[in-house]
Amino acid sequence: MSDLTNTDYLEYLLKSLSIKSTESLSWLNQLRAQAIDRVSTQKLPTRRDEEWRFTDISPLTHLPYQPSKLECNLHAHDIEHLTLKEAKNRLVFVDGHYSQDLSTISDSAALVIGNLPAFVATHASILESHVGQYVQFDNNVFAALNTAFLRDGALIIVPKDIAISEPIHLLFIATQNEVTSYPRCLLIGEAGSNVTLIEDYVALQQATYITNSVTEISLAANAHAKHIRIQRESAQAFHLANCGVSLAHASNYQSVSISLGSHISRYNLDVRLTDEAAECVIDGLTLISDRQLADTHTCIDHMKPKGTSRQQHKCIVNDAAHAVFNGKIIVRPHAQRTNSSQSSRNLLLSKTAQVDTKPQLEIFADDVKCAHGATVGQLDEEEIFYLESRGLSPEVARNLLTFAFGAEIISRIPVSSLRQQLEQAVLNQTQSS
Amino acid sequence: MSFRLKAYQKWLTMPEPEWQNVHYPKIDFQSISYYSAPKPKQKLASMDEVDPELLRTFEKLGVPMHERAALAGVAVDVIFDSVSVATTYKEKLAEVGIIFCSISEAVQNHPELIQKYLGSVVPVGDNYFAALNSAVFTDGSFCFIPKGVKCPMDLSTYFRINTEGSGQFERTLIIAEEGSSVCYLEGCTAPRFDTNQLHAAVVELIALDNADIKYSTVQNWYAGDENGVGGIYNFVTKRGLAKGVNSRISWTQVETGSAITWKYPSCILRGDNSVGEFYSVAVTNNYQQADTGTKMIHLGKNTRSTIVSKGISAGHSNSSYRGLVRITPTAEGARNYSQCDSMLIGDQCGAHTFPYIQVHNSSAVVEHEASTSKIGEDQLFYFSQRNIDAEEAVSMIINGFCKDVFQQLPMEFAVEATKLLSFKLEGSVG
Repeated sequence: MSDLTNTDYLEYLLKSLSIKSTESLSWLNQLRAQAIDRVSTQKLPTRRDEEWRFTDISPLTHLPYQPSKLECNLHAHDIEHLTLKEAKNRLVFVDGHYSQDLSTISDSAALVIGNLPAFVATHASILESHVGQYVQFDNNVFAALNTAFLRDGALIIVPKDIAISEPIHLLFIATQNEVTSYPRCLLIGEAGSNVTLIEDYVALQQATYITNSVTEISLAANAHAKHIRIQRESAQAFHLANCGVSLAHASNYQSVSISLGSHISRYNLDVRLTDEAAECVIDGLTLISDRQLADTHTCIDHMKPKGTSRQQHKCIVNDAAHAVFNGKIIVRPHAQRTNSSQSSRNLLLSKTAQVDTKPQLEIFADDVKCAHGATVGQLDEEEIFYLESRGLSPEVARNLLTFAFGAEIISRIPVSSLRQQLEQAVLNQTQSS
Repeated sequence: MSFRLKAYQKWLTMPEPEWQNVHYPKIDFQSISYYSAPKPKQKLASMDEVDPELLRTFEKLGVPMHERAALAGVAVDVIFDSVSVATTYKEKLAEVGIIFCSISEAVQNHPELIQKYLGSVVPVGDNYFAALNSAVFTDGSFCFIPKGVKCPMDLSTYFRINTEGSGQFERTLIIAEEGSSVCYLEGCTAPRFDTNQLHAAVVELIALDNADIKYSTVQNWYAGDENGVGGIYNFVTKRGLAKGVNSRISWTQVETGSAITWKYPSCILRGDNSVGEFYSVAVTNNYQQADTGTKMIHLGKNTRSTIVSKGISAGHSNSSYRGLVRITPTAEGARNYSQCDSMLIGDQCGAHTFPYIQVHNSSAVVEHEASTSKIGEDQLFYFSQRNIDAEEAVSMIINGFCKDVFQQLPMEFAVEATKLLSFKLEGSVG
């Protein structure tokens, strides 16, 4: 890929950016302007960039898709199978555009929830101090693009000491072919709050499109959040996502991200423990086949003492698929008594499957406990033999073991109907292979 | 000569590598750029002269004649008089057909071997420093073990940089033919100077069918003073090719010196059932930086590799493990186990791990484990209960920590390494 086509691609995208109406306040326009500025000075990453070493996104440059248009022909019954019965609050975005008809909001008294533009005027100061703060776009061209095209987005503010027992479901549905959508999501958990958020990316048909999403989460002191992220896009889609999380004193963040779909997907998760005694638990599962490529980059940054982090990432790779995992853990100077563990486990089911894993530790403090491990392998012959000796056929035995490998991560999802949906999806995939 | 010219041309076209700095803290980047300024200049001065003959290169590089003897010299231990030992051994070795001499001698006496193998493992244009080395290499050792010969004694080379402001570019080539085995030791020291010196060596090992090469290094170049002034930049390319079936290459290294160490002894496991091993202890103190690790490239069937790396950082130093394990699609049934542990002494130092694991074959089993910790208060308390002071306790704990690696070293080296370690960490506790 030459630099010429590289810059051309970005310019082309910028051209398609229509002049924004004046409805939003100036700070938001300024933010967009900054982002546009940043896009024009950056280039698309290539495999020469260390962060993109294993993921070649040059196919993207041949697909300068326009932003999706606002046209929604969906009705409630079209998405019925996607809804979760536990979730009383549901925000639905079709191709990145908010759909009021499909969304249901029942807790608007207890918390701030809805489409971002609706709150720009009423919550200006709080939004200004959070939007664009946790996913920095200075060195991230995709985050910059998302910010430049920022329009609709999910906003959830959980007030002080409020616990929302039912999960909040954010449903991002792709319907159009050959477009780019720019979903955006902001969760602010005030001190002592507790919330469960489900981010769900689905496609209604097999289409080729690009999703470029940005999610920002900020938790104040003692706030708890569970963040479940399901990526089940169409098998021809491109999914590029950035998620930035900032944790204050003694806050607790638990994340489960499941990656099933997309031709090429990339998920960057940045968690910053900005104050003492913050905790995070991060689990991930990648299940891919055919010629899919799924890349997960996580960075857990222990900036202050006494932080705890635990991470487990699993990949099940079939056919000629290629999974990439890069997990970085940074322990800053003076972040003493950090306790951190990380494990990357990878299961290769076919001869042509590929895994590149790089668990990475960067430690600048001495009173810490940090461990990481990585394994790559196939199913254990002895385990299969054991099941066969109990009367299972080799195929069933393999499927059972593969399912069990993935189910460990899925079992961490606290929403039972979603868990069942995913278990079924994993079963389908393992059985077809 | 054409080998050199080719390398020089290549080197001129190559950019200085910067990829390794990407991960480095800022300070490192600056120090690396800093050294690069004086280095090419010095090299270019000598480059004009490199063509006529080796001798003049020596002088230009500032390595005096008597130093050459030491460079190519052989000694079991540092204490021995290198020259005399070299002679006795040479004769003894020649009896069983082993050729062991300096590489310049080998160029004259065994040109066919040199031509066949030199640069076959580390190609001329492999990397910036290897190309530089290929262009200007001054001397080094050459060792050839013929078919079926088990080398009766450990071979050893001792390197020393004596002159201020000089760079050293030695080249080592070891060839083990079918069914032979050899154990090779390398020691390095340099006196203290305030200027930074460059050491860019290339070591090539070739093991044919059923051959066994064991290469041990104890590196104690001058590391700079407490404030990080002076010291050696140690940029070494070491690579072994396990070419034949059932061949085995084992690297053991104890890195205590050098201001900056940048070294990845690697194994290319081409032969079926070949084995690669890497045992390393890297100790850094004050402002030292070590970026070391290994590459295990599995090409043959049923190849196995083991990596054990121990890093100890004290003072303001940083040590990194950077390892690559690549299982290519042809490597059926490959197996790798890596373990890298770091120990931190003091709160200003850093320990980093960058394992790259690339698996392109489903029958492979790859495991990686790493941990970082400091010496436990409980452990120290236990020692002090038994009336052992803190410094001694730390040195005992560290020796225990490194035991896995020291066991791989020959006896004399292990003793030396243990001493070096405790000397190195002196004053870092308490």
